[in-house]
Amino acid sequence: MTVAAASRTSAWRVVEYHAVNARRYLTSVIVLSVLTPLVYLLALGVGLGTLVNRHGTGTLGAPYLAFVAPGLLAAAAMQTAATHAANLVMGGFKWIRVFYGMSATPLTSRQICDGTLGFIALRLVGDAALYLAIMSSFGAARRWEIVFAVPAAVGAAMAFAAPVAAIVASMQSERNLFNVLFRFVVTPMFLFSGTFYPVSRLPEWGRWLAAASPLWHGTELARAAALGGASSASVLGHVGYLLAWLAVGVPLARWRFRVRAYR
Amino acid sequence: MVAPEQEPAAAAPVLIAARGLTKRFGDLVAVAGIDFEVRRGEAFGFLGPNGAGKSSTMRMIGCVAPATSGELRILGLDPQRYGPRIRARLGVVPQQDTLDLELTVRENLYIYGRYFGLPREGLRAKVDELLRFAQLSDRANAKVEPLSGGMKRRLTIARSLVNDPEILLLDEPTTGLDPQARHVLWDRLYRLKQSGVTLVLTTHYMDEAEQLCDRLVVMDGGRIVAEGAPAALIAEHSTREVAELRFEPGGSAGAVERLAGVLSGAGERVEVLPDRVLLYVEDGEGAVVSALDAGLRPLSTLVRRSTLEDVFLRLTGRSLVD
Ligand SMILES: Nc1ncnc2c1ncn2[C@@H]1O[C@H](COP(=O)(O)OP(=O)(O)OP(=O)(O)O)[C@@H](O)[C@H]1O
Ligand SMILES: [Mg+2]
Repeated sequence: MTVAAASRTSAWRVVEYHAVNARRYLTSVIVLSVLTPLVYLLALGVGLGTLVNRHGTGTLGAPYLAFVAPGLLAAAAMQTAATHAANLVMGGFKWIRVFYGMSATPLTSRQICDGTLGFIALRLVGDAALYLAIMSSFGAARRWEIVFAVPAAVGAAMAFAAPVAAIVASMQSERNLFNVLFRFVVTPMFLFSGTFYPVSRLPEWGRWLAAASPLWHGTELARAAALGGASSASVLGHVGYLLAWLAVGVPLARWRFRVRAYR
Repeated sequence: MVAPEQEPAAAAPVLIAARGLTKRFGDLVAVAGIDFEVRRGEAFGFLGPNGAGKSSTMRMIGCVAPATSGELRILGLDPQRYGPRIRARLGVVPQQDTLDLELTVRENLYIYGRYFGLPREGLRAKVDELLRFAQLSDRANAKVEPLSGGMKRRLTIARSLVNDPEILLLDEPTTGLDPQARHVLWDRLYRLKQSGVTLVLTTHYMDEAEQLCDRLVVMDGGRIVAEGAPAALIAEHSTREVAELRFEPGGSAGAVERLAGVLSGAGERVEVLPDRVLLYVEDGEGAVVSALDAGLRPLSTLVRRSTLEDVFLRLTGRSLVD
């Protein structure tokens, strides 16, 4: 009976743990997931957008709200993914040590890693779907293909979250790491990823930064889904770039989890 | 006094076998090539001071730390290849609790059972049973964080039983428990053993080792320095009785010379600690009288039977609990 149990366990059990754990914050999670898009869409799309539209834009001929909304969707996913990857992994190995409890069971370090990343991805899908619903209530959803903005945003966010998880799993202390990560990586990525304006407005070096950032690729994909007009070559290029990040980041994270959990 | 070899245990199959088992952390050798076997139904102990390598050994048996070298088989399987399959059949009480303090008592048990792939329906009944086992039924829906150290320990032990393990690994199970809670736990462990669970435990409590273990090894500095049943170890490495003479701190100096004539039989000896002199003899009362005759003036005297503590002192030259 117990031998069969080993085969019945899976990374889903780790997802279940994170879900049970998140249940405690359910109210604040929902409030945040609703308030964030509301505030951003109101402030940037409706408020700033009125100004931008009046002065004419290079925003693909669309009203500013329709332009900025998919960018905000991708940026919000990125922010949530990075925060969760950092906190859940540091919590699991250091603050609460639950990952050590898990590693004494039939769960493998790989399942612990996959389940943690999987939980983040599921959380992002929920957030993004909510975001989309709120966007359409603002009239910022112009065609049904906008639903593809969800996998675009979540894919880009996870492409970044996986290496974050790998780095955090390698750190004994979080103090400097979290500062550096958010101040020098996550926030600048926001500014150089075409969230608020097309990267063609940036100087050459800025465009290179954007091209390197997974968020820009996710933003382009989300925007293409929302507004249309993207060539299949550019879509394939963005998807390929994000898949490459995942193909490196996820094995990296699994490896660091194994080293940390079994020594 | 020598306990007979445990017949049923000796005939039972070997569940854990280690040969030349070694664990290094960089230059530090935590476990220095040890050999041991644990048979089904036994209660097997690792006894030793801080840093002896007990936890490192337990973690290798628990398949959460790879051995640096040597051979280890658990339930006939190689932990390197079959870690998850082995862990599915183990219960683990680590030295340091890994409870989720933010979750409730019940949630901790439930989610841990889920890690083993146990189905939801059966698990609920199991959790209730474990809550009673840990005497925490009335705290089931309280968070773990504010529980006392002893309650958390009981919860960790209850949690380790969620998968009905064949082997239970207990790393200092009763450290931090009050005497009454320790006795309750010993009773529980004894009953588990009666029901066929193999117990492997570490401790630095002599009475715990004597009470619980059929067989134990004494570890020191990563090595096994002695092995056997508690009574056999005492018979082999110590005398029948011990006379303890207590002095003011530092007052025991010079006692050895005066006591030279007190010792008579083979194996009798003197051990001088800063505040105590221990006379290992066949006749304790007689030794006390002789010591007083020899001019020693201890604050108090005590005659007792030898314990594992004395075995440890004899084997390592150090006191186990200081
Ligand atoms: N993860 C680790 N990294 C480096 N050194 C370690 C690690 N774990 C244990 N050690 C070292 O290995 C040695 C044995 O430690 P271990 O925890 O096995 O001893 P122990 O017998 O369980 O002691 P205690 O009674 O204090 O729990 C110690 O010197 C310890 O510092
Ligand atoms: Mg230890």
